[in-house]
Amino acid sequence: MSVSSFAGPFVPELVLLAGTLLIFLLDVLKVRRIELTGGIAVAATLAALGVVVADLGFAPLAFLATVPASQIDVAPAAGAAPLFAFTSFGLVFQAIFLLATFFVALASVSRPSDERGAPIFYGLLLLATIGMLLVAIASDLIFLLLAIEVVSIASYLLVAYTRKDVRGLEAAMKFFVIGALSTVLSFFGASLLFGAYGTTNLYLIRAAGTAVGYPVLVLLGYGFLIAGLAFKVTLVPFHAWAVDVYDGAPDDVSAFLAGGTKKIGVFAFFLVFLGPVLAVGAVGSSGYGLFGGSVALGASFQITLGALAVVTMTVGNVLALLQKEMKRMLAYSSISQAGYMLIGIAIGTAPALGGATLQVFAHVLMKTGAFLVVGAAAAIGVGPLIDDWRGLGLKRPLLGVSFALMLLSLAGVPLTIGFVSKFVLFSAAVDAQGWFIWLAVAGLLNSALSVFYYARVLKVMFFDAAPAPAGAPAGSVVGGAGPPALPLGGIGYGRAASLAIIAALIVAFGIYPQAVLGAIQSAAYHFVTVGA
Amino acid sequence: MIVGFAGTRLGRLEWGGWVAVAFSAAAMVLGVLIAVGEAMSPGTYTNVQFTWLHLAPAPGAFPNGFSLVMGTLVDPLSSLMLVVVTVVGFLVMLYSIGYMHHDHGLPRYYAELSLFLASMTGLVLANNLLEFFLFWELVGVCSYFLIGFYYEKPSAASAAKEAFLVTRVGDVLFLLGIFLYFSVYATAGPNGGWAANGFVFVHGASPFLPLPGANTPTLTIAGLLILGGAAGKSAQFPLHVWLPDAMEGPTTVSALIHAATMVAAGVYLLAVASVFLGFTPTDQLAIVAVGGFTAFFAATMAVVHPDIKRVIAYSTISQLGYMVLAIGAGFAMVGLYHLFTHAFFKALLFLAAGSVIHAVGTQDLFKMGGLKKHMRLTAAAFAIGGLALAGIPPFAGFWSKDDILGSVYSVLGTHPDYWPFFLLAFAAVFLTAYYIFRAWFLAFSGDGPRDPSLPTPHEGPWVMQVPLVVLSAMAVVAGLFVFFPGFQNLLLGGAGLPGIPPTFTTTDLALSAVSVGLGAGGIGLAWSLWGNGRVFVLSETSAIQPVRRLLLNRYYFKVGYDWIGLRAVYTISRAADFFDRFVIDGAVRGLERIFAAGSNRLRSIQTGLVSDYAAYVVGGLLALFVMLLIVGPYLLARLGGS
Repeated sequence: MSVSSFAGPFVPELVLLAGTLLIFLLDVLKVRRIELTGGIAVAATLAALGVVVADLGFAPLAFLATVPASQIDVAPAAGAAPLFAFTSFGLVFQAIFLLATFFVALASVSRPSDERGAPIFYGLLLLATIGMLLVAIASDLIFLLLAIEVVSIASYLLVAYTRKDVRGLEAAMKFFVIGALSTVLSFFGASLLFGAYGTTNLYLIRAAGTAVGYPVLVLLGYGFLIAGLAFKVTLVPFHAWAVDVYDGAPDDVSAFLAGGTKKIGVFAFFLVFLGPVLAVGAVGSSGYGLFGGSVALGASFQITLGALAVVTMTVGNVLALLQKEMKRMLAYSSISQAGYMLIGIAIGTAPALGGATLQVFAHVLMKTGAFLVVGAAAAIGVGPLIDDWRGLGLKRPLLGVSFALMLLSLAGVPLTIGFVSKFVLFSAAVDAQGWFIWLAVAGLLNSALSVFYYARVLKVMFFDAAPAPAGAPAGSVVGGAGPPALPLGGIGYGRAASLAIIAALIVAFGIYPQAVLGAIQSAAYHFVTVGA
Repeated sequence: MIVGFAGTRLGRLEWGGWVAVAFSAAAMVLGVLIAVGEAMSPGTYTNVQFTWLHLAPAPGAFPNGFSLVMGTLVDPLSSLMLVVVTVVGFLVMLYSIGYMHHDHGLPRYYAELSLFLASMTGLVLANNLLEFFLFWELVGVCSYFLIGFYYEKPSAASAAKEAFLVTRVGDVLFLLGIFLYFSVYATAGPNGGWAANGFVFVHGASPFLPLPGANTPTLTIAGLLILGGAAGKSAQFPLHVWLPDAMEGPTTVSALIHAATMVAAGVYLLAVASVFLGFTPTDQLAIVAVGGFTAFFAATMAVVHPDIKRVIAYSTISQLGYMVLAIGAGFAMVGLYHLFTHAFFKALLFLAAGSVIHAVGTQDLFKMGGLKKHMRLTAAAFAIGGLALAGIPPFAGFWSKDDILGSVYSVLGTHPDYWPFFLLAFAAVFLTAYYIFRAWFLAFSGDGPRDPSLPTPHEGPWVMQVPLVVLSAMAVVAGLFVFFPGFQNLLLGGAGLPGIPPTFTTTDLALSAVSVGLGAGGIGLAWSLWGNGRVFVLSETSAIQPVRRLLLNRYYFKVGYDWIGLRAVYTISRAADFFDRFVIDGAVRGLERIFAAGSNRLRSIQTGLVSDYAAYVVGGLLALFVMLLIVGPYLLARLGGS
């Protein structure tokens, strides 16, 4: 009897939900040890990850599979309006989301935090992850936006969960206000589309395709949707909240926001603009078939997204250049990375989709890892400024080496996953020809630009003399009372393991990218062709 | 094979010469085993590769997909080279223990030498041009480090720089050649073209399936660019200037890199290209011309030079010219055969010279003399190397050099325009014999050193003697290998490859007789002028004095190069540098500067006020619609749509 016969295809979500409920239950029973709640979260995430990977066709875990292969990448019957659909592309994203949650959950086990916060943190983390998984299977606009809302509400609370930290509270407030505004924009866009198509189901919208009664509504609807989703993906000029929030939120929450939740926006873009629901036309060609009746309109969306991509990566990079604080620098770098991902969306071919997905995957490793390192550094008393990191690379080899790998990967140095993802993405842009080549040029120039600020951090970490020890280590900013020191010189086993895994994956996939590239490319290929 | 590869890799991490020696010994054993295996099974090859990166097929520039591949290819061609690289590499490594024992910076030396050997092995085994180029560059970088090993000596540092710059010119040409070939073969050719197969030059069942070559201008230019790359690495005219100056490095380095293996990379590239890519007739003539001319040209300069190492260096250039000549004429395997024998006797000559330098502490031939009394082994070794170089039977050089002359002679009927270069190469035989024995007589014969301040010479320790003995033996017998069927398998390769003529025809015999006669005459002349400690002084009023001066000044090439060649080289590299620094870097830096200025201003946008952020969102939304409705269509019209 397979698991699916009694749990249906929602096993990953249910596992996470069970974990959440267990954590909250234990909280009520006043069992709040972080090792326990964290352990539950890590276990639940790993279990869900195993199921998703099994669904993707990973043979050794086949016994865990809950979605029959025959139900993946299948277009619904004509006229059917399913709320959700399983695509291999969506499953890839589920795996990526779960990976991000796993890294954060594992690292946070060793966090010198007050015990009271642990259940809240882990409960919300799992709840947000459930929303993320739902986003990846959505096939209806309302379902999609509600799933995004689940993630959003959980993440507003995550930013503020420590409650005593004024900066976190302020960040949460900003996050919430701008987030609410974006939600309004998204739903307004969806309602306009409903006005145009008479449905919010993406398959039916796709079927309506060229026969649109009110093109103006389509234009306005998608425009508002872009604005709403751009908030999630932190596209310029919808990015302003991100820096303050990443900066103000607890480090591990920043890791989750930048590495995890942000990616649901990217997936939503894929889904809305070129998913199976909208793809029309020849294999591998651009998926902007929705506007088949009006090619200029479709192309206009493409170039608008392309322009957004260029503006986003440029502004993100430029602002990252002069940042003096490590977290703000990483926040801006995260914004610019979103620009790279958007390149893939603007191009809309299967290879570009694959490249963008690989970039998402790489970014999960790099940015989650980077914020986790920042968390570790804060835990051992390193200040927030980049200059405070002087000599840290040699003093703390684990932090130094893993952070160096993450930065090199962000800069796109060969033999790291970051190089591979950029290579695939940019070559897809070149391959698509036309004005898309300029996207590759812009991307390359931006990569070169970004090397400056990544290299600066490396220089500070490895070549500058360490500052003289200034009194006792700050310990914890939050706790105040000075919690007991963690093993491994304050880093803790969980975080060390998380960082080591991330660093190993960055290099492993950099050396042998084919391990993930093949699966991602085939998923992307199905994504733009199925149902066409 | 992969272990040998990894072994040499590991070697560079280890400290201490013996570890490096052990690893290179392991690599040698593996290399020889591979070659023997290859010799035992004629015509087979092994190709192991993994796709490093694969992009799925998509309509566009690469309809069949795009791959980058790392692989190793063991075929007759590469296994022959493998033997040369690993055996000579090991012997030099062993010799280094003795030769370098009083130098400092030894870990650096062994690390660089091991890295060099590893990259050379990688180059030989590469199964695609991009990988080939990668290792090619690594080899270049290593040689830069090793030539400049005595970096505190300004001449060594500048020689290293010169070698790097000049070979760099070749590298750029090579890379352009790859691109040009790629533009032709990206989607054409077996298995969907190079793009889909990662530039791999092996196809299907047979490694020797030539690409559908045609005599088009593009392919001709591509071939010439490859020749340029090879000429840079193999020090062929007019990019030969760096090699003699590269003798500033330790003698072991000269033996390894600048005689036996690295310069062979260029020849190997030509051989690979001629087998797998095919050259057009124009290319062939150009290659023959460069090879034949260089063979003679370099020999003339060796005739007068007083520095023992530089004489050998010029002879290297000259011998490489022979190989290039053979490859150009369509006899790639003959060229590689000469490369094989040459590697042994040239390494022998260099190590013997190193032994001399080690003993007397000078490189000036005119200060030496009478060394054979104290250094019998070295004298004998140098003599054997000299005889092999001069092409006296039965020493190694005779067989291979004669094969080159014989094969080229055999195609003269169909290619009359090869005649002048054949004659130049033929004449160089005489010069070769003369200059190498001039060096021998100057150094070893006579009663004693001409400069009495020299220390009493002595033989080196056993680690230096063993390689001399082994190499001497090889210099005697390496040429005879050609009579073994197994070795012939290596040379004959497989289908479609012009192999080596296994027997000697009557014309060849006559030709051999003439060339041996020339060689003997050269030795005789050297004896009559320099033998028994004689020093032949050309009178200042002699009619050929200007010629001597011309040769001594290397045809004023060095001076001339400052004006023409190096100027051009510098200009090119400056231009490239300029491009790099000002156009690419400039764009980047300029952007950075502009942005740095703008950054502060932009930063002020980040007010931290929520109402401002909300205003950005609304503003962004408006901008979005402007973009969608007005700017987007306008841009599309300008950029030409997708």
